[in-house]
Amino acid sequence: MKNPFQELIEGIEQDELWDSKVEIARNGYLKLAGEIDTNIYFIVEGSVRVYVLEADEELTIRLGYKNNIIASIDSFVTERPSDLFIQAIRKTQVKVLKKASFLEWVNASKDRMVLWRQNLELLVVQQMERERDILTSSPVERYHRVLGRSPQLFQEIPDKYIASYLRMSPETLSRIKKS
Amino acid sequence: MKQNSNHLINQLIKLTETFIYEVEHLKGESLAHLNYKQDKSTWSVLETLEHLNLYGDFYIPEISKRIQDSTFPVKENFKAGVLGGYFVKILKPREKLNTMKTLKDKNPNGSKLDTYTLDRFLNQQQDMLKLLERSKKVDLTKTKTAISISKRIKLRLGDTLGVVVFHNERHMEQVKRALKQSKA
Repeated sequence: MKNPFQELIEGIEQDELWDSKVEIARNGYLKLAGEIDTNIYFIVEGSVRVYVLEADEELTIRLGYKNNIIASIDSFVTERPSDLFIQAIRKTQVKVLKKASFLEWVNASKDRMVLWRQNLELLVVQQMERERDILTSSPVERYHRVLGRSPQLFQEIPDKYIASYLRMSPETLSRIKKS
Repeated sequence: MKQNSNHLINQLIKLTETFIYEVEHLKGESLAHLNYKQDKSTWSVLETLEHLNLYGDFYIPEISKRIQDSTFPVKENFKAGVLGGYFVKILKPREKLNTMKTLKDKNPNGSKLDTYTLDRFLNQQQDMLKLLERSKKVDLTKTKTAISISKRIKLRLGDTLGVVVFHNERHMEQVKRALKQSKA
């Protein structure tokens, strides 16, 4: 069975719903803190990180790579400015879908509404997994949880960002990977 | 020195738009010209722009965050700080360009660079335009930002924006010189 996420993307592809395509250079931003960004991005090529700045420390919230969807979910829902940064880790190409185009498309059919609900449900589960990651006190265990769930992450994203995502220093991550 | 906030920001926006225009034009130049070095210690066009990119990597997220966190609404005037005013003054290009020292971590000399450096620069300038627009809504004097050379020193937002844009302006002059030399 196809997962609801793939099904949603395929539907969007089929109906050629994307509003535009954008290329961002390495270290460039899709979104800066304080901006309102209600777009949905599909990563065609490259990788991105979503982070917040907290007392000069970058806290990594999400990492995304090829074929992932990324969005500033807070801004998407509230349509207000949010403090998230979405930055390209390397040269990145994204397809952009505006919230309005997306919702119009979803609301036009009952099947799509069901599909969208399934996607939101999946998202809730993923959020809970992530919450558990962060609450897990042992760094080794945090590492294994994420590795088990998304092995590809470790192929696509430089270790220093993964370390930040796992709430550990790059040195600790490198030690855990070796053992 | 007191100055009108909007006037200052509009001046910085104009300059930034000029940089975008000029660098867009560099896309038509050959890689040989863009990488040309008069001698080992002078920077090529691309090295100069990469130098600016390295600063942008620090300042763009920093400024963005500080504007967002600012609780001080816009004020008609901006008063430059002592240190900020000094930085702006020494950075502003003069008739005859004075040379300055570059900090090691911001020195691109010898890096392998291609036209991607131009894309990175253009991305950053688009972000700067957005930040300059957003800065029109906050107090440029009371909103503070960190600076790249020291963790302890804070500058007034108006000064920081000036430092970044005039630093860019200064090096855009150098870019033009480097290009001219590559064709001499």
